[in-house]
Amino acid sequence: MRFMVMVKHLENDPNMPEPDEEMFASMARYNEELVKAGVLLAGEGLHPSDQGALVTFRDGVPTVTDGPFAEGKELVGGYWLLEVKSREEVLEWVKRIPADAAVTSRVEVRQVLSDDD
Amino acid sequence: MRFLIIRRADADTEAGRPASEELVEAMARYNEELVRAGVLLDAAGLAPSSAGAIVEFSGGRATVIDGPFAEAKELIAGYTMVRADSLQEVVELVKRWPTLDGGGNVEIEIRRIGETDEYDMSDELKEKEHQMRAQAEANRGE
Repeated sequence: MRFMVMVKHLENDPNMPEPDEEMFASMARYNEELVKAGVLLAGEGLHPSDQGALVTFRDGVPTVTDGPFAEGKELVGGYWLLEVKSREEVLEWVKRIPADAAVTSRVEVRQVLSDDD
Repeated sequence: MRFLIIRRADADTEAGRPASEELVEAMARYNEELVRAGVLLDAAGLAPSSAGAIVEFSGGRATVIDGPFAEAKELIAGYTMVRADSLQEVVELVKRWPTLDGGGNVEIEIRRIGETDEYDMSDELKEKEHQMRAQAEANRGE
């Protein structure tokens, strides 16, 4: 089974620490574990929404809104694609994501549909 | 540059309603166009959030909350990853998204993906990151 694991957060959250070498290093160690277990298919970080755009279709007509477009909602900051045997297995991996104890963060875990679905 | 195109969820995708044959064909034609343009890297749909979970980290502790989740618009129904020269190029691609999808009422988010060399980290970590990417690519069977 394939899962998309997304770290979500509010943009411009003042409690969010700037990523530093230590944070990158703990993430690299976690990614190495995923690689060793053979479950890692992809791992990416996303730039803030100011480098993106939102396209809204209404009755088939697209309207483009330039970023930032967070609207005070949580956006995806980064994600992993993992290939595992069960939902339980992916949740065990997610619980081990290096999280800053000073910040509350949410990680959304969603199953990716395969052609068989 | 690489971009992630996020098709936001709605009541229909969250209900797990299967797409009509016409919509499946329209999306396949759209993806073929992206392939012909040489920009498509990956595309997939997600199962409704009822099959998923949220793991909340607070004070260093992880709590699992089973789906489904309210606020469909903040959820993701599917993603498409492309390589393009500019955000504008991706905006033009997304404007041609099949209008059969969501009955012509959908929200699509375009986000630029960070590249290893853009981050302020040591060369040693960048090298590790490159190795991680090579291994992930091998796991994808590319």
